Amino acid sequence: MRFLRARRIHLSRALSALLVLGLLALLLAGCETDTPQNTFDARGEVAARQRDLFYMAMWPAIAILILVCVVLVVALLRFRRRSPDELPKQVHGNTTLELTWTIAPALLLLVLAVPTVTAIHDLGRPPRADAFHVNVTGIQWAWQFEYADLLDDRGQPLTSLGELHVPTGREISLTIRASDVIHSFWVPKLAGKLDAIPGRDNVMWLKADEDGSFSGQCAEFCGRGHAGMKLTLIAQNQEDFQAWANEQRGGGG
Amino acid sequence: MATVAGPARGNAIGEALRQARKAADTEYGIWSWIATVDHKRIGIMYGVTAFFFFLAGGIEALVIRLQLATPNGSIVNADQYSRIFTMHGTTMVFLVVMPLSAAFFNLLVPLMIGARDVAFPRLNAFSFWTFLAGGIFLNASFFTGNIFEGRLGAPDAGWFGYATLTSRQFSPGHGVDFWAMGLQILGIASMASGFNFIVTILNMRAPGMTLLRMPLFVWMTLVTSFLIIFAMPVITVALFELMFDRLFNANFFNPAAGGTPLLWQHMFWLFGHPEVYILILPAMGIVSEVLPTFARKPLFGYPFVVLSGVAIGFMSWGVWVHHMYTTGLGTIANSAFGISTMLIGVPTGVKIFSWLGTLWGGSISLRAPLMFAAGFIAMFTIGGLSGITHSIVPSDYQQQDTYYVVAHLHYVLFGGAMFALFAGIYYWFPKFSGKLLNDALGQVHFWLMLIGFNLTFFPMHISGLLGMPRRIYTYSGDNGWDLWNLMSTVGAFTIALSILVFMINVAITARRGDRAGSDPWDGRTLEWSIPSPPPPYNFAEIPRVHALDDFWHRKYTEDAQGRPVPIPAGAALAPEPEHAEGGHGIHMPSPSYFPLIAAIGFPLIAVGLIYDYAILAVGAAVLLVGLYGWALEPATEE
Repeated sequence: MRFLRARRIHLSRALSALLVLGLLALLLAGCETDTPQNTFDARGEVAARQRDLFYMAMWPAIAILILVCVVLVVALLRFRRRSPDELPKQVHGNTTLELTWTIAPALLLLVLAVPTVTAIHDLGRPPRADAFHVNVTGIQWAWQFEYADLLDDRGQPLTSLGELHVPTGREISLTIRASDVIHSFWVPKLAGKLDAIPGRDNVMWLKADEDGSFSGQCAEFCGRGHAGMKLTLIAQNQEDFQAWANEQRGGGG
Repeated sequence: MATVAGPARGNAIGEALRQARKAADTEYGIWSWIATVDHKRIGIMYGVTAFFFFLAGGIEALVIRLQLATPNGSIVNADQYSRIFTMHGTTMVFLVVMPLSAAFFNLLVPLMIGARDVAFPRLNAFSFWTFLAGGIFLNASFFTGNIFEGRLGAPDAGWFGYATLTSRQFSPGHGVDFWAMGLQILGIASMASGFNFIVTILNMRAPGMTLLRMPLFVWMTLVTSFLIIFAMPVITVALFELMFDRLFNANFFNPAAGGTPLLWQHMFWLFGHPEVYILILPAMGIVSEVLPTFARKPLFGYPFVVLSGVAIGFMSWGVWVHHMYTTGLGTIANSAFGISTMLIGVPTGVKIFSWLGTLWGGSISLRAPLMFAAGFIAMFTIGGLSGITHSIVPSDYQQQDTYYVVAHLHYVLFGGAMFALFAGIYYWFPKFSGKLLNDALGQVHFWLMLIGFNLTFFPMHISGLLGMPRRIYTYSGDNGWDLWNLMSTVGAFTIALSILVFMINVAITARRGDRAGSDPWDGRTLEWSIPSPPPPYNFAEIPRVHALDDFWHRKYTEDAQGRPVPIPAGAALAPEPEHAEGGHGIHMPSPSYFPLIAAIGFPLIAVGLIYDYAILAVGAAVLLVGLYGWALEPATEE
C-alpha cells in the first residue's frame, strides 16, 4: 500500500514536470521557424522591436509560472494529509511575506513599464516627411492600396488590390481606413496590426529590411469573407520597384 | 391553475390564487419548483439550466474545433461558422459562467451568513426566470433562418458585436436583433440579482458576523454584485443604441451619418472588462473556501485577500482600452492603459500567493474539490501571466485578435472560472443533495479535463504567435498552423470526455451515492453546521457568530502553539439539532407564480419589437399582470 502510494506520488511529480517541460518545448518549437506569418521571424524594424518586447515579458512570466507550479506541487505532496485526524498549526498570515509579494511584483512591472512606454512612443511617432506614402482601404473583403507618391499619366495615383508594393529599406507611411465595416491591417513579419475603421484615418509606419514578399491578412472579424481577406506586401529594391511602377503606368493605371 | 389573473377583482380570483399558492407550498412536484422562492431551489435551477447551456456552448465549440482540425475544413461554411462562434462566446459568458456563479450565490450566501433566505425572495425567482427566458430567446434565434437548408438564424457579428458589422446593412436577418435583445433580458436578470445580493449581504448577516468575519466567497459575491449593477447599465445603453440603429434607422454608430463605430467599442469594453472580473471573482471566492477546508488551515492573509478582491473590483474599471490598443487611440492612451493593465496584476498576484500560503504547512486532503482548486491556481496563473504580456502594448499589436488571445482568455475563463466552479460543485454537492460525488470518478474527471484543457489551449499560444488570426473559418496548409490546430481539436474532445465522466458521476451518485452527513469535509463555514440537504428554513435557530470560520471554532480550540485541539463532543455547540419539528414555528415566504409570469413578458416584448407590435402589446400586458399580481399578493400566508 505504502509502496503504491509512493509510486503514485513519483508519477504525479513526473507528470507535472513533464507537463511544464512539454509546454515549454512546444513554445520554443513554435518560435524561430520561417512560416509566412510568424511574428518571431521579424523582417523589419517595427516587428523586431515588438518581438523583443514580447521576449522581455515572456521570460519573467515563464520564471514566475515555474515558481508557482513548483511551490504548488511541492505543497500538495509534502503537506498531503497522512492521517485523518492530523491537525496543522493554524497560521493566519505573515505581514512581511504579504507585503513582499505585493511590492515585488509591482516593482517588476515598473521595470517592464519603462521599455514598454518608450516603445509605444517610438513606434507611435508620426511617419517621417520623406516616407513613401500609401493609402490603405479595407473593403469587404479585399485590401485596396493607393500610392499617393506614384502618379500615372493623368496625374491620378496608382492603385493595386491585394498586393502592396513598397521600396525596401525606406520608411513606409500607411494611412488606413475602411469603407464598410472594421478591418485590421496586419503583415506580421513587418509590424503589428492597426485597425481600419470607417470614418476614421489611422496612421502607422513600417519598414522592410530586405526584399521579399510578406503575407498578411485581416485581423478583425469583418463578416463571411474575413478568412479570405489576405494581402501580400512585396518589398523590392529601387530598380525593381521602379520597373513595377512603370509597368503599372503602361498598363493604363 | 388559475394563475392568469388581472388585479384581483372579487373573492373568486383571490381565493383561486390562494389555493394555487397553497398547492405549490410543498416539497415535491413540478409546481413546487415553478412557484418556489427558496434560494436553494432557485440556486439548483440556475445550476442545472446553466449546465444545459454549457453543453450547448460546448457542442458549438466542438463544431468549431472540427472545422479547424485540418486546413480547408468543410464541416460548416463561413456563414454558419460566424453564427456558431458568436453563439459559443455569448453562451459561455452570459448563459454559463455568469449563471453558474449566480447558482453558487443563491445556494451559499444565505447559508454562509446565517440567514433564512435572500432579502427579496420573489425578486430572486424573477431573476432566474428572466435569465431562463433570455437564454431560450437568444438560442431561439437559430431557428429564424432555415435550419433544413443549413441557414442558421443566429447572430453573426461575434459576441463583441462591433459596429458597423452589426448594422442592418451588414447583418441583415434578425440574428443581431435576437442577440441585442437577448442580452438586454439577461441584463435585467443580472441587475435584479445584483441588487438582491448586495442587500442580502449588507442587511441579513447573522448577529456577530461583521464584514471582516464574512467568508471570502461572500466578499467576492458582494464585489461581483457591485460590478454587475454598475457594468450592466453601460451595456444596456450600448444595446439600446444598437437597437435604435437597427429598428428605427438611428445613426449612433453609422459613420456615413456622423455616427462613430468606436463609440460601441468603448461602451462594450467599459462593460466588458468589469464583466471579466464578474466571471472570475466568484471563482476566486470558491477557491478561497475550498483550500482552507481541504488544508485544514485558515485562508492565508484573509484581510489582504479581501482587499485585493476589492481593489480588483475598482481597477477593473480602468483597463478597458487594452481591448482597443490597435484602434489608434494614440500613444498617451495606450501608455496609460498599458500601465493600468500591468497594475491589476498586482492584486491578482496577491491572491495567487495567498492561496499557496494557505496550502503550505497544511494537512492537505487531495480529494476532487482540492484537485480542481489546485488546477485553478496553476491554469489561472498561466492566464494571468499571458495577460501581463498583453500589457506590453507594442507586443500586443502583434498578438491582438490572434489565437494567442483565444488561449489567454480560455486560461482565465475555462482554466480559471470553470475549474473553480467544478471545485465548487464537488465541494458543495453533498450539502445540497445529501450525497457525496464519487471521488475516483472525480479524479478521472479532473485529470482528463486538465490534460484536455492544456492540449486544447496551450497550442493556441503558438498558432497565435505564428500569425493565425481569430474568427477565420478556414486556413491554408502553408502557415505551419496545422499541427497546433489538430492538437487543439484532440484536446477539445478530451475535455468533452471529461464532462461525460462528470455527468456519469452525477447519475451514479443520484442512484446510489454515499450519504453525506452535515459536515463531510470538516468544513469551516456556517453552511456545514446545518443538515444536508438543509431544511427550507436553513437554520432552526439563527446562529451567533464569534469569529471568522465560526463553525471551525465551534469544533476546535487552539493550544498555546496555535495547534487546533478538538473540543470534546457535548462540550461544544453540536451541529444544529433538528428540533423545531420541521420548523413549524418558522414563517417562510409563500411561493409565487408572478415572478415567472412577469419574466415571460420580456421575450414576448422582444419578439414583438422584431416582428409585430401586436405581440409587443401582449408581452407588455403579461409583464404588467405579473408585476401587479406580485405587488398585490401577500408575501406570506396570513
